Amino acid sequence: MTAMLELSGLGKDYGERTAVKALDLTVTKGEILGLLGPNGAGKTTTISMASGVVTPTRGKVTIGGVELAKQPRVAKAKLGLVPQDLALYEELSALQNLTYFAALYGIHGKLAAERVAWSLADRAKDIVKTYSGGMQRRLNIAAGLVHKPELLILDEPTVGVDPQSRNHIFDTVRTLRASGITVIYTSHYMEEVEALCDRVAIMDGGAIVALGTIGELVAKYAGKGVELEVTGDLDQAAAAARAHGTVTREGNVLRIEPTAGLAPLFAAIEATGVTIARIESRQATLETAFLALTGRGLRDAA
Amino acid sequence: MIGASILKEVWLLLRDRGRLISLFALPVAFMVVFGSMFKFGPDKGTPRPIGIWHEANDTRGAAIEAQLNATPGFVAKAFPSPDALRHAVAHDDLAAGLIIPADFDPVHGKLIELSIDEGAPIQQRVPIEGAVIGTVMRALSPVAPRDMPPLVIPKTPPGLANPLADVSAFQVTVPGNAVLFAFFISMAVAITFAHERHTGVWKRLLAAPVPRWQALLGKLVPYFLIAMVQLGFLFGLGAGAFGMKIAGSIVALTLLSAALAMCAVSFGLLVSSFGGTERQIGSTVPVAILVMGLLGGCMFPRMFMPAFMKQIGNAVPQSWALDGYYAVLVRQGTGIIDIAPQLIALVLFALGFALLGMWRFEFER
Repeated sequence: MTAMLELSGLGKDYGERTAVKALDLTVTKGEILGLLGPNGAGKTTTISMASGVVTPTRGKVTIGGVELAKQPRVAKAKLGLVPQDLALYEELSALQNLTYFAALYGIHGKLAAERVAWSLADRAKDIVKTYSGGMQRRLNIAAGLVHKPELLILDEPTVGVDPQSRNHIFDTVRTLRASGITVIYTSHYMEEVEALCDRVAIMDGGAIVALGTIGELVAKYAGKGVELEVTGDLDQAAAAARAHGTVTREGNVLRIEPTAGLAPLFAAIEATGVTIARIESRQATLETAFLALTGRGLRDAA
Repeated sequence: MIGASILKEVWLLLRDRGRLISLFALPVAFMVVFGSMFKFGPDKGTPRPIGIWHEANDTRGAAIEAQLNATPGFVAKAFPSPDALRHAVAHDDLAAGLIIPADFDPVHGKLIELSIDEGAPIQQRVPIEGAVIGTVMRALSPVAPRDMPPLVIPKTPPGLANPLADVSAFQVTVPGNAVLFAFFISMAVAITFAHERHTGVWKRLLAAPVPRWQALLGKLVPYFLIAMVQLGFLFGLGAGAFGMKIAGSIVALTLLSAALAMCAVSFGLLVSSFGGTERQIGSTVPVAILVMGLLGGCMFPRMFMPAFMKQIGNAVPQSWALDGYYAVLVRQGTGIIDIAPQLIALVLFALGFALLGMWRFEFER
């Protein structure tokens, strides 16, 4: 398998604070890698270093066999970045936007026009701010693809889009993979990562805490358990539950992976004086794996 | 890449009516208003009326009145009574007036009264006082005024080219407003950086195979060219529509404009290095530009400022630019060598702003 992106000992410090410790990650050609993590996990810093936007404090980035620090122009030509924000000139037309972004990669004139023709062809000359949110998101992606990169980094591309545009973006990502483009996909939507990604890297505290296929992560980290909605002193209830299993808290909900049977667990919780309002059995999913690894729900942490 | 950036910034400028107005329409409005407030040169100006009252049979009073009418720039306006004259001065109907008592006798302390608002700005009051007193002295001289040989002759000292004979108000208001509004390009530069950082376009630019110095130049060069177009438009309009004359070299004028544009764009880079949102920049930078413009003489000529204000004015590039423009527009035959100090000062300001801006600028903020 050919490595498209290699991060070796990659880290970033901002003064005394370490945003990313020392990452080692290899993304193979044609793969879609999902990058998950709560806020402050270091996802944005990692993709910023991988795309040359931020200079690493340590380690190195290699894109398509070319070291970014040594040959930035060659390495960056292989990379397309789709930032989380709408990185577009809203006052210009789609065609003007794409013509400008193509020029950054040395693509001019007729070639640029051919490259941009496929995206939003019927409204290419309309001003971007007249587009719907979904169309703007699609154009945001098109701007990252205009130079036909080998590696595309998508930073939360579906934020604020309607279901139809979201499906269109999914189709685009799958088409890109089919054409051999490697994709790194960050998202706050677990189901998107489950639907699209071949492998998932879960980040927390500036490090990759788990890496593997969804099946591997679920099998390894996502234990089955129960979810209890509790009214009363939640701290006491959580403390009592910890004697009987692994506990994570989210609002007034306790997620517990019991080490023994459920009866002693419930008895211990009720002995603290709280009322159990709801009991739900949990299946092993990527979400439960994420919870087990980070102690937080992805969307709540975002 | 620079070419694409220039094209893109021009597209953006053409879409932004507010910016077009502040760079092109507003300075024209200011030029017209300020230019029309002042006389169009000495030969086209209306003589200033100076009030006069004297007894009907007072020969000395009649001589002073005649001398006032013979003095360029003045015309005597007779009043029926001293109180009527004082009332007119007090109500701003005229700047000054002479009340000549019939028993006028300076030896015994019986003086001619010059009615003038002593609270008026010194720049306005003193020239009138001096000229009127001189007129009175000539009128009362034992030598007939017509026979009096000239005592003083105005001459431009060596080192300064001769000025145009007819200096219109637009010779001053066109460069004043051109310099003032050229610096509004600084705000445009700072706002475009803030906007690109805010939207993520800056990230896209840093991820592209473009060296960082080129990314920076790609932002600055288009605005330098836009500033040159702005100055060309304003001076072209001044010359074509308002009769502003260019007494010196066009090449010197162009070089001065290029140095000014460099200075304004570099100042924009310095401003953007402090960060801030588009709204913060929009609310603070115009204040800085207006204060600098005021100190530099864009709104009020520095020649009328007290010495310490002139010294302070030297600390802003606007004053150097205006001195240079005044020389090129007003002094005949002014060339590059004549405005070398101003050119050098502007280039040094531009370099200073640029170096400080680059030192502070955070690409990865």
